Amino acid sequence: MEEESTSVESNTANERIKLNVGGKYFETTLSTLRSGGPDSLLFALSNRRSTDPNPVFIDRDPEIFSVLLSLLRTSHLPSTARRFSKQELADEALFYGIDAHLRAATAPPPFSGIDAALAASIRPASEGLPSSFAAADSGAVWIAHGGQISGYDSTLTHSGTVRTHLDEIDSICRVWPEIAAIGSMSDPGLHFYNFSGSRHVGSVHWTDPLDPRIFKAHVNAITASENTVFASFDCPHRENCILEVDKSNLRTVNQFARQSGNQAKNMVPAKLTWIPATGVLVGSAVTGGAFGFSGYVRLWDPRSGEVVWETNEPGGSGRSSRFGDSFADVEADVEGLLLFKLCSKSGDLAMADMRFLKDDPWIYLKEKNASLVSCGEVRNSVVHCYRGQVFVAREGGLEVWSMVEQRENVVVRSENESDAEGFYRRNFVDKREDSDRGIIKKIEGGGDRLFVSREDVEGIEVWESSRFSGAISVL
Amino acid sequence: MPPFAGSEPAGFPKPDSNIVSIDVGGQVFQTTKQTLTSAGPKTFFSRIAESSGIYTPFIDRDPEMFSLLLSLLRTGNLPSKAKAFDLQDLIIESKFYGIETLLINSLSNPSQLEPFNLQKSLLLPLNGRDSPSALAADAACGALHVAHGSKITSFDWSLRRKATVLTHFTAVDSLLALSPTLVAAGANDFSGLQILDLENGRVRETLNWENVTKSGSTVQAIGASSENMFVSFESSRRNSNSIMVYDLHSLTPITEIGHNEIFGADIDSAIPATKLQWIEGYNLLMASGSHSGPSGVSGNIRLWDVRSGNVVWEISEKVDCFADVAVCDPLSVIFKVGVNSGEASYVDMRNLSTESAWVCLGDKRKVTNNGKKEGIGCKIETQGNQVFCTKGGDVELWSEVVMGGGNGGRIFKKNLMGRMRDMGGAKITNLAFGGSTMFLTRKDQQCVEVWQSSSREF
Repeated sequence: MEEESTSVESNTANERIKLNVGGKYFETTLSTLRSGGPDSLLFALSNRRSTDPNPVFIDRDPEIFSVLLSLLRTSHLPSTARRFSKQELADEALFYGIDAHLRAATAPPPFSGIDAALAASIRPASEGLPSSFAAADSGAVWIAHGGQISGYDSTLTHSGTVRTHLDEIDSICRVWPEIAAIGSMSDPGLHFYNFSGSRHVGSVHWTDPLDPRIFKAHVNAITASENTVFASFDCPHRENCILEVDKSNLRTVNQFARQSGNQAKNMVPAKLTWIPATGVLVGSAVTGGAFGFSGYVRLWDPRSGEVVWETNEPGGSGRSSRFGDSFADVEADVEGLLLFKLCSKSGDLAMADMRFLKDDPWIYLKEKNASLVSCGEVRNSVVHCYRGQVFVAREGGLEVWSMVEQRENVVVRSENESDAEGFYRRNFVDKREDSDRGIIKKIEGGGDRLFVSREDVEGIEVWESSRFSGAISVL
Repeated sequence: MPPFAGSEPAGFPKPDSNIVSIDVGGQVFQTTKQTLTSAGPKTFFSRIAESSGIYTPFIDRDPEMFSLLLSLLRTGNLPSKAKAFDLQDLIIESKFYGIETLLINSLSNPSQLEPFNLQKSLLLPLNGRDSPSALAADAACGALHVAHGSKITSFDWSLRRKATVLTHFTAVDSLLALSPTLVAAGANDFSGLQILDLENGRVRETLNWENVTKSGSTVQAIGASSENMFVSFESSRRNSNSIMVYDLHSLTPITEIGHNEIFGADIDSAIPATKLQWIEGYNLLMASGSHSGPSGVSGNIRLWDVRSGNVVWEISEKVDCFADVAVCDPLSVIFKVGVNSGEASYVDMRNLSTESAWVCLGDKRKVTNNGKKEGIGCKIETQGNQVFCTKGGDVELWSEVVMGGGNGGRIFKKNLMGRMRDMGGAKITNLAFGGSTMFLTRKDQQCVEVWQSSSREF
């Protein structure tokens, strides 16, 4: 109905066209066929001058074509598509050149932590315990397991596996769409593997001609900026630094943040995050021992190699009321320019605005829901920021802190503490039975998905939001 | 994509004929102008009917789906072969042709509610760990809004699609559907009634009651008639309460009824209304509230004339106070479940007087002298001629048996709803009706149970 009033197409676009697909006749309009884009086969067919009274013959399966024609007409995949596998539909859409249409119609809606459910679980065929993984914006994921990297594309189908020379991959990062940077705690060096060619393309080691002790340095964390890769290295005697590697030639261009590693506050950063908006690198390290957690957060300017801001816990500066409540994990929200920390004793989540960092920038988010009793001390916790939401895993449970929509006339001032405290609401993403599957080791968002790996559990979980109610018939 | 384009004249029908041909995706359908215009004026089909002449209109849509919707136009019902398709496909297609209301009418219509034929048919799962705290169903089409924790999840009338928004509340206690995308939500521990736009999760408006102490005003209950919305507010200091009447469409305050300020030990006026129900047939508002004190539960039920702001009738509950009250308009009866006895009782509204008393439908001995609280948490709702009363995990269906002769007393009989395997289960916490469906939620279960008539399955 709506289309009728808005369509101001030329007469030729409204022209009807008959198609004969595998012996079955279809009739549609040129504009429908052309909605697949100028590069599609269907567009090419629509350009044929219709002097020939016989319809265009396409030697393909008519049933799949009728599904794809419905997709072009309505931009929805009809329920009849369920008769075909994802792969069949993808192949056929690729043949007609309308794969982008199919992807748009089958993609999950924007990921919302307050309304997410376990959609799938992907498990590599062999040595399925993931040591690390890296998600892409398309919703694809690379899983590192037992020295191999298995790739899963945006439909979560296996796209290939690379066997690396490492025995165990502990960190993995996407450098280019096809190139992964990997590091291991058991083997030295930062290594680059090309996924499509399934081969090793380069290595970077930390060496110092003036200091023979710098030897066999392992990679602890990797992050990538637009042109470079940052990796934190540490030697067996704990001396550590960060190397900046040029993405185009895979050569070291910069070395900074070198420290001795003899104390908690100069350990190697176990987590690195590049903040493109401000051009700073956020690094953090946390150790947990019998006397609680200790660690630091540091922001470097890689150009000068200087520390822009840092905080150490315990000690450092902070509220006396929070003394002894040092953080168990820290994460940077790249888009929101926020830092989040999870307190080890109280289990509270605190937020700091990276634009207004000062002595004690932390704002402790309030738990307003009386039924969500504070979890208190947690041994294993993970914090991950994705699309303005903060995901917190405590042991096996997964929760999300999301911003409440404000009324337009309420001015959002992040400097004003009492205001900011109330912006976030805490909700559980999972159900109680989900948390029994194991301790969460890593969370990462990619595309409209959240990937979760658990300790001693094969494969990784994929959480998605859905518009479908998922009604279960109990008749 | 153009919905239709002309083509050369077909061999038949003649231009003056009543028969209309339509070419849908290469397949020609023939129907009459009457059938097409039954979709309603100014719809896609009525325009085809008007414009039909020498050209056969071409519609670039799926012919199979069209044949189903044409049957819907002809008979008002979907043919059984439609079961091969997903309802979602049919909804998309019916939206394209602008006849979604016909589809809703054929599948989810309040007149199709068959109380004696309801059975548990679907479970709607809710994400996260919060159990539902309030339900609001759209009476006309059966779209459902569920509040769980700080979230509200909305299901469309077909219960196939959902969307979730985050609210400012920690838990929503009262919820009312204003339109498919607009709800009014309030809580016992949160000041103000929020009008939430569910499409973007924004608060469109906050309605507050200006009380004397200038403290916040919490929402205790929401009710609605076809024109007004009624909201029972209590001040945060719990020393005053009131029922505000708003215009349902503009949401502007119209009047205030039942304003109580508490001075001294007047316990009765300290009880805010926790249930509001509009009685269409009498033009009265039923407001009930109860309060648990050291001497047991006491409460009151009042019938308000909204225009004059006067109480028409009221009953004070001291012995076996209600756990829940509901008015059955067609039967002219007020029903309650006693909090102590757990038994249903009624008052006939046709001859209300100050001496009107409850007629117990169960074991009368339980009403007096019962220290137990067998009826606590019971819910009672009316729909049409029937009264639905929950007791623990079960739903009782009360209906009136009309006997010839009629000498005085009215006869109400109950039935336990559901098949053997549907009975029992966790305690029912919410009960709501919408379209031809009954919705209920149970304690500690993150899902909504849907009860539908067995003959109305899609």
